[in-house]
Amino acid sequence: MDLETEVAGLRFKNPVLTASGTFGYGREAAELYDLALLGGVMVKGVSREPWPGNAPTRIARAPGGMLNAIGLQNPGLDHFLAVDLPFLRQYDTQVIVNVVGHDEEGFLAVVRGVDGQEGVAAIELNISCPNVADGLLFSQDPERAGRLVAKVRQATSLPLIVKISPNVTDPVALGAACAAAGADALSAINTLLGMAIDVERRRPVIANTTGGLSGPAVKPVGLRIVYDLARSLSIPVIGMGGIESGRDALEYIMAGARAVAVGTAVFRDPLAPPRIIAELEREMENAGFTSVDEAWAAANPEARGVVS
Amino acid sequence: MKPQEIRVVERLQPAPDCVELVTEFPDDELPAPGQFYMLSAGDGRDTYLPRPLSFYRTFSPRRLSFLFRVVGPGTQALAALRARDRLQAMGPLGQGFPLPEHPLRAVLVGGGVGVPPLWSLGRALQERGCQVTALIGARTRSGLLGQAELEALGMRVLTATDDGSRGHHGPVTDLLAGLDADAVFACGPEPMLGAVQSFAASRPVPDTYLALEAAMACGYGVCLGCAVERAKPDPELGPYGTYARVCREGPVFRWDEVKL
Repeated sequence: MDLETEVAGLRFKNPVLTASGTFGYGREAAELYDLALLGGVMVKGVSREPWPGNAPTRIARAPGGMLNAIGLQNPGLDHFLAVDLPFLRQYDTQVIVNVVGHDEEGFLAVVRGVDGQEGVAAIELNISCPNVADGLLFSQDPERAGRLVAKVRQATSLPLIVKISPNVTDPVALGAACAAAGADALSAINTLLGMAIDVERRRPVIANTTGGLSGPAVKPVGLRIVYDLARSLSIPVIGMGGIESGRDALEYIMAGARAVAVGTAVFRDPLAPPRIIAELEREMENAGFTSVDEAWAAANPEARGVVS
Repeated sequence: MKPQEIRVVERLQPAPDCVELVTEFPDDELPAPGQFYMLSAGDGRDTYLPRPLSFYRTFSPRRLSFLFRVVGPGTQALAALRARDRLQAMGPLGQGFPLPEHPLRAVLVGGGVGVPPLWSLGRALQERGCQVTALIGARTRSGLLGQAELEALGMRVLTATDDGSRGHHGPVTDLLAGLDADAVFACGPEPMLGAVQSFAASRPVPDTYLALEAAMACGYGVCLGCAVERAKPDPELGPYGTYARVCREGPVFRWDEVKL
């Protein structure tokens, strides 16, 4: 079975990555298994300065998933470069740096900071976090997203992935604007904006009022958006949203994802990423595929260019 | 810490809305008092996230129990388990209670379902020659948990109820004032922990530790969901150090380390 895949010129030994914000910078998972098993790691969002994150309560339970409003708590660019990146560099896996910012300058400072650093394989531009003020600012308007992507494009030669929000009317228009501005790939989806109510306390459960829904409940939404992006645009898509088994991963690949990322599943099963890699191999075999290339967009003929 | 499949050996019901599951672990990695596990049962459809629970009693190196109040889908799924059923347990997790090097007079304060971690702690303190008194409180008599079990360890147990149906009529923390303590260890609802903090601030009992509870997704430090505000942020971390993780830096904190 050939599990290798390519996204934006990057080779991945297998198509299973860990999703940003569910994996920190790898230190905790490394206590459980060898990170070199992973196709890649999408790290927790990195901002120019350290960010404190939101006040608690930050999470709420939901059927088939959860809500979170962590608020991108992170130690900042300098700490990432001095401490976290050297740690990840020990492992033979592709490290993708998720970049966050409150404004254009904030994004660009991090992009310039990681550009050229040994061990950084690509940048994932997070213009779709629903849990910080202005988090969705750049997603609400494709033109605005395109302007940011174009500036980032000029600031780095690293492969550039843009993370797409499901909280917009037309994710394809957003993806198209990013592609036209120089994005090499898209990742989809970020969480869906939602909320939970505490009846006894008569207030929202989450202090931030709203949070992002993730987990198996969002998989149908993720599949739909990945499918649409793959058939409408020529740049590759990394699929994520509710993947908790090898079969889920294969569904995303068949919908048109060149690689996938496992997120919320690691909260319920910390060993989910290596388990999913093993399961994916069996699922592909059962479905009669011999490679990721073969399985890619098998259920999405328009993406394969079979149908015009 | 590691994810493992454990087996229910016995299911007890110490109070109408509380269940104690005695479980058997595949190995004998004994947790420290105050540490916890993330437990999940069922297929996750009704409640996806595992449930953080401190362990309660230890019967042998491989046999631990968990005591919880049935409050929602997660604890309902756990309460539905019967002997021989299997469930997932990730742990042991977090930092437990620091144990004194020399014998001292220790007071345990437990509110409601905060009592469980105090059982193994009390036993460990006794093994170190400490004189241990346990104060347990609840809204009403039927909510008092662990009294017989703590007494069986040979410690003095004082009770308090909000409605006066047993023991002191009022908050359990009222009982602290009448005791000479070198160290205080508390676990319970936030208002109770706040009262313990105030007590510690009002007199020189520096060895006061609180076991916190928080909404938690992962339990092992990656989700950053279980944030608690630090009282004295590490200046080196800048704004990033505003919050600590209950699951990793805690769940046990010294009383003056956190803002509740």
